[in-house]
Amino acid sequence: MTDELNFPDAGERADSPGEPVVSLIREAYLPPDAAAWPDVYWSGLESRIMARISAEAERGWWAELVPWARVGLVAAAAIFAFAGVVNNRLAAPDDQVAYEAVNQPDLTTASDEPIAGQYIASYGDAAALSYYLSN
Amino acid sequence: MRTPDEERALAKAARAGDQDAFAGLVRLHQRRAYPVARSIVTVHEDAEDAVQEGFVRAYQAIQRFDTTQNFGPWLNRIVANAALDIARRRKVRSTEELTDALRSPFRDPGEDAELKERLAAALAELPERARAVIVMHDVEGFTHAEIGEMLGVPGGTARSDLHHARRKLRGLLQDLRD
Repeated sequence: MTDELNFPDAGERADSPGEPVVSLIREAYLPPDAAAWPDVYWSGLESRIMARISAEAERGWWAELVPWARVGLVAAAAIFAFAGVVNNRLAAPDDQVAYEAVNQPDLTTASDEPIAGQYIASYGDAAALSYYLSN
Repeated sequence: MRTPDEERALAKAARAGDQDAFAGLVRLHQRRAYPVARSIVTVHEDAEDAVQEGFVRAYQAIQRFDTTQNFGPWLNRIVANAALDIARRRKVRSTEELTDALRSPFRDPGEDAELKERLAAALAELPERARAVIVMHDVEGFTHAEIGEMLGVPGGTARSDLHHARRKLRGLLQDLRD
């Protein structure tokens, strides 16, 4: 390392706070329970860490699915919206025909009544007929 | 004490999904990871959280670990990052609380109470990174390059941080030395 050459170790050792202070810092940064019962404390911490890791591993494959679930939902929504648009487009001509069939100026006369039936039937459109009957 | 080869074997097995092997790595490194975290967050409970979080993140990222490298510096970088995340979230905590928290381990009447209290106060006065480099280098024996990696700074910066931190600590403890 370049900086190792720029700062020789001897100078750094002289700069050191000294073993008594280092010992005090080491003591200061020990976990409170580790001084009295080190083995109990460290094995307890290890158990807690491993418990979290086991939980993590268990839900691991579910977590893997989460991003895919999001993609799936978006895709499903897009398909649903597309199907709605297509359905709407297909239904529109039927409605138009039915609307025009019902709202045409009434050209029939009493004697023409049978013809009106033929007129509607000529479109052969069940939707027009149902619209007509329902109104 | 395990050899680097044994540690490497544990890391490889852990990468292959062996949780017992990962437990071996936890057993091997938790005692050094704790002071790294504690030097950054200062509070015991936060340090424990950072160590736990660090190991969980290391487990999640174990596939990215290069088994030709040493596990310790890689792990401690993750632990230091977890500690820095906690420290950022805890910034609202007052200096007074931090000083109290630092003092608490020294409340042993059988020890030199004054020196310990002064040291605790002096450490609390140091900036976060300065405190961390002193603990990582002088207490835990990490190299400047390793400390730089852990704290996300160049090795030379870690070295110069250490020099300034020591000088400041010495200044704060000057009257005790006289």
